[in-house]
Amino acid sequence: MMLARIAHELYWLGRNLARAEFTARAVEAVFQAELQGAGEMPSVSFGSGGLLAMLGGDSRPSDGGEALDSLILDAERPGSMLASIERARAGARTVRDVISAEMWEAINTTALGLRGVAHPGWESPSGPHLASQYVKQRMALIWGVADRSMLRDEAKCFLDAGGLIEVSDMVLRMLRVALPGGDTARADRHALILLQAVGGFHAYLRAVTAPPNAHPVARFLLFERAYPDSVAACVDSLHDAFAAADAGPRNSTPVLRVSRLAADLDFQRRALPDGAELAGICEATQQELTRIDQDVSERYFAGAAPAMSRW
Amino acid sequence: MPASTHAPEPASLHYRPRAPFLDEMFEVDGRPRPVATALVRELERMGPEGLLEAGRRRDSVFMQQGITFETSGESGYSHERPFPLDLVPRVLSGSEWVEIKRGLAQRIRALNHFVDDIYHAREIVREGLVPWRLVAGCPHFARSVHGIRPPGGVYGHVAGCDLVRHSDGSWKVLEDNMRVPSGISYVLENRAAMARLVPGMFASYRVRPVGHYPQLLLSALRSVAPSTQSEATVVVWTPGPANAAYFEHAFLARQMGVELVEASDLVVRDDVLYMRTTRGLDRVHAVYRRLDDDFMDPLEFRPDSMLGVPGLVRAYRAGSVAIANAPGTGVADDKAIYHFVPEMIRFYLGEEPILENVGTFLLSDPEVLEHVLERLDELVVKPTGESGGRGVMIGPHAQEAEIERMRRVVRSDPGRWIAQDVVRLSTVPTVDASGTLQPRHVDLRPFAVFGERIDIVPGGLTRVALREGSMIVNSSQGGGSKDTWVLEDGQDADRAGPPVADTAPPTLPDLRYGAWTGQQQQQQQERIEQQQQEPTA
Repeated sequence: MMLARIAHELYWLGRNLARAEFTARAVEAVFQAELQGAGEMPSVSFGSGGLLAMLGGDSRPSDGGEALDSLILDAERPGSMLASIERARAGARTVRDVISAEMWEAINTTALGLRGVAHPGWESPSGPHLASQYVKQRMALIWGVADRSMLRDEAKCFLDAGGLIEVSDMVLRMLRVALPGGDTARADRHALILLQAVGGFHAYLRAVTAPPNAHPVARFLLFERAYPDSVAACVDSLHDAFAAADAGPRNSTPVLRVSRLAADLDFQRRALPDGAELAGICEATQQELTRIDQDVSERYFAGAAPAMSRW
Repeated sequence: MPASTHAPEPASLHYRPRAPFLDEMFEVDGRPRPVATALVRELERMGPEGLLEAGRRRDSVFMQQGITFETSGESGYSHERPFPLDLVPRVLSGSEWVEIKRGLAQRIRALNHFVDDIYHAREIVREGLVPWRLVAGCPHFARSVHGIRPPGGVYGHVAGCDLVRHSDGSWKVLEDNMRVPSGISYVLENRAAMARLVPGMFASYRVRPVGHYPQLLLSALRSVAPSTQSEATVVVWTPGPANAAYFEHAFLARQMGVELVEASDLVVRDDVLYMRTTRGLDRVHAVYRRLDDDFMDPLEFRPDSMLGVPGLVRAYRAGSVAIANAPGTGVADDKAIYHFVPEMIRFYLGEEPILENVGTFLLSDPEVLEHVLERLDELVVKPTGESGGRGVMIGPHAQEAEIERMRRVVRSDPGRWIAQDVVRLSTVPTVDASGTLQPRHVDLRPFAVFGERIDIVPGGLTRVALREGSMIVNSSQGGGSKDTWVLEDGQDADRAGPPVADTAPPTLPDLRYGAWTGQQQQQQQERIEQQQQEPTA
């Protein structure tokens, strides 16, 4: 048993950490793709515009480079990576007694490092690479410290659950923006950028023999259970986390809903023929994740509905 | 902002091209060429300090990623150095590239015909165009593969020709690499590094991507693999981690998602090649081998080879496995055979060569030999069977004693040497130790993949001689490399409008931001009150 407020903070700590990481990944991949031009392949629409739509907020009419910069280090933009880190730090402060000192320090250092922009050349024109690289490394460190130092109790479950639901949401967002269905030649190019964004290029090559084109990549990111950041793998782990945290998992709405979603994904993986359109499934899955999020706050956070406002 | 509206000012970089050599980025009077205007502006903006700073980051990134090569210092210890990438890219227009690409494809097709012919009917020999003595005397001629036609009829699946640009602007072929051309991994890593270190340089250009090479190679290997199943098993065969190019072997295996094998992983049973796995033997359909013929199969080539797989050539002869490049292909990159490539193009394809050779003298002819020995100080002398710039003497740069020694060596065994006209390699600005730009000589090695058709990656490896005045570009001898850009279209370097045509993305749910606020506590309170009221209602 733990305080609803603490559980809520931990859950959102996990979400903000994962969101910061995937924002950084997406921005860097899109930046690189736009930089190197369209080449012999059709032009890219998984570009800065798509990214702004994906990460919400106003799509300020500015050129691609500036838009991408603001998604990294613009603290005023709630969807930026820095804003996510700042929220994570603020959240971690309120649960300093629950997480280990080591973990708090890891999170705090990350925020301070980004805030100070200590490294020269982080900002334009050298692009988001350095900041993105830094955040990826820090996230690996933070989750590593969490895994090694936190008790496997309810607190850890909520932290993990937040991370997992955010990863699946971000992967689905990217999938929906990059591979909206139709126009396969263009989508094939996006598929590669998407894989690089998620960091699953190597895993894909080892798991799938087909070249990284739109359909096999979408299938891989949705259904491949052996790949930890795929939607199916995240939903599976999410189920485990809630089932462990819940006092009565047998009649708990979030647990049941997650378990149904996991079964659905498994069913679709087996039932759908290769090359089937996946855009509908992505949309339905994302909606289901939103419902799970609401159920979670209903059941565990004493009905604190997630704020739709900016902060 | 279009750059063409106002004439570019003379560069403040104090860069002067060195006559008589052609500089690819600047005109003779020091003004940037139209294609390079935006790049020069960015270089000016960065300044020497910016370039040096980016260079320091490049070195540390390359060290961290292990993109290094080993050099032995004076002390005898070998130490790792970051791969020398120069931060000024080399820019080729789209129209220039089309010419190179067509010329290379033509040349590679002809060389492939030649290898096929040499191991079968030998028509080109019977026609009297290529002396048999030269072919048979070539160290890479492999008698043991006579009469074998590999799956798909392709011998040189991977080829890289070394091109140079003469002072009149024409491209010439300096060498053909048909055995195991290396360097493609550096092309890909250079591009990735450039995009991270100096993204500003890309801002006004649309550069053709190179990253699809591993997929091209993989599909070419699959297309020639004798497999009835839908997916052929392809492996990359490396001599081992001690090999100088091991980085590239591992890179290609990783990028293609295939196994990187050593000889001890492979075994031939009943003329079929297998690899040893945790689940027993697994059939291999295609091998991309990165070692010389000599070491491949101790039963057919060098019997003392510890790196080979006994029986591999038998399996190859039986047609159960494709080997890329095919054994015996090395005959096509012999420097004596090089002389005949234009003839081959006419003979096999009935076309005129698009890319010319550099003027070459075969020293086996006594008259030619005498003529060459007279003018040794104006020519380049190369051993026929070597690669990597070993044993090359450049006449105009050599000491008198050196030339005299070479004269004796050549006279004693003229068949092992060729002489070539000196090519005035073009120059490209290159960052020196103080961060300023200096003209340095370059060549170009594009990479072609021959499967069902010939694909050539836009650009290739530009190698640059980092020492002033030097024309030796080999990395083993102090050469560096440059990222090579092939532009989307020939003339207009500036982007016409944004390259990104965003389609309207689907409507996504808003991002949520969790917050434990008074408002939620209010809701919670209301909910409780509601529940308390419910029984009475």
